[in-house]
Amino acid sequence: MDSDAQLVARAQGGDPDAFAELFHRHTDRVFRLALSILGQGLAAEAEEVAQEVFLKVHHALASFRGEAEVGSWIYRITFNQAVNLKARARYRNPHLDDALLSHVIIAEPGPHSLAEAAQRDQYLSECIRALPEVYQAALRLYYWLDAGVAEVAALLDVPENTAKSYLHRARQLLAGMLKVRGYSHV
Amino acid sequence: MSDRMSGMDPRETEMDALLRRSMAAPVPRVSPDFHQALARELRRRSQPLNPFGRILLTGYGVVAAVVSVVVMRGQGLGWVAITLTTLSPVAGLELIRRLRRGRWGMASE
Repeated sequence: MDSDAQLVARAQGGDPDAFAELFHRHTDRVFRLALSILGQGLAAEAEEVAQEVFLKVHHALASFRGEAEVGSWIYRITFNQAVNLKARARYRNPHLDDALLSHVIIAEPGPHSLAEAAQRDQYLSECIRALPEVYQAALRLYYWLDAGVAEVAALLDVPENTAKSYLHRARQLLAGMLKVRGYSHV
Repeated sequence: MSDRMSGMDPRETEMDALLRRSMAAPVPRVSPDFHQALARELRRRSQPLNPFGRILLTGYGVVAAVVSVVVMRGQGLGWVAITLTTLSPVAGLELIRRLRRGRWGMASE
């Protein structure tokens, strides 16, 4: 199997199959990274981002000089594209889906604690949206999209220790924000 | 979760559990026709301009150049300066295009 660099060289030589293979190889990760930046309930927008990323990659392939890893280059374009889209557009608030709601009901039996848990979750998602983009992306990749630390690091183009520290710092910040709101027992 | 964090204090462990519970939701997947849609869009964007588009673009370029020359002449600029100002961006673009082609050619060797 060709490496990414070999595929790029073939694509630069005019081989359309090489580009097709390259984007097949990276589609899932590009989509997941876009989702992690945009958040829940925005799969269609994440797909739009993924499409735009591959169109940009195709356009810029001729000038790609191999100074960075192909994957890192693609994920950096994805990150910027998704962050720009997020900054431009006004999105509706993510809502609690049915699966999550039923989970909360099982975990919290009393009506008062149920309401409190739902309120706390709502506030938590607001707090997450207030974090820096890289922290938000790291949290969603790790907790929602079930990525390991290695995948978080690869997609955010940072060393694994940095990815771990993003998660650690994000948890600390969130705990602090919840405490300010009076949720001392998270 | 493929790997658990180690060395977390109790407060962080609680936060970890809360995040796991609160962020649990179905993970969307790329739609099955994504690759076809992308291939279609690539084809569409790779197509050269149709004759009408070409005429429109050329007409726009000519009108813009003529207006620029008239305005610059009106401001008292000499023909040498006008020629340089008008043609240098075109030459610059052509140079970039050639450089890119050169790099493309080297990469494909």
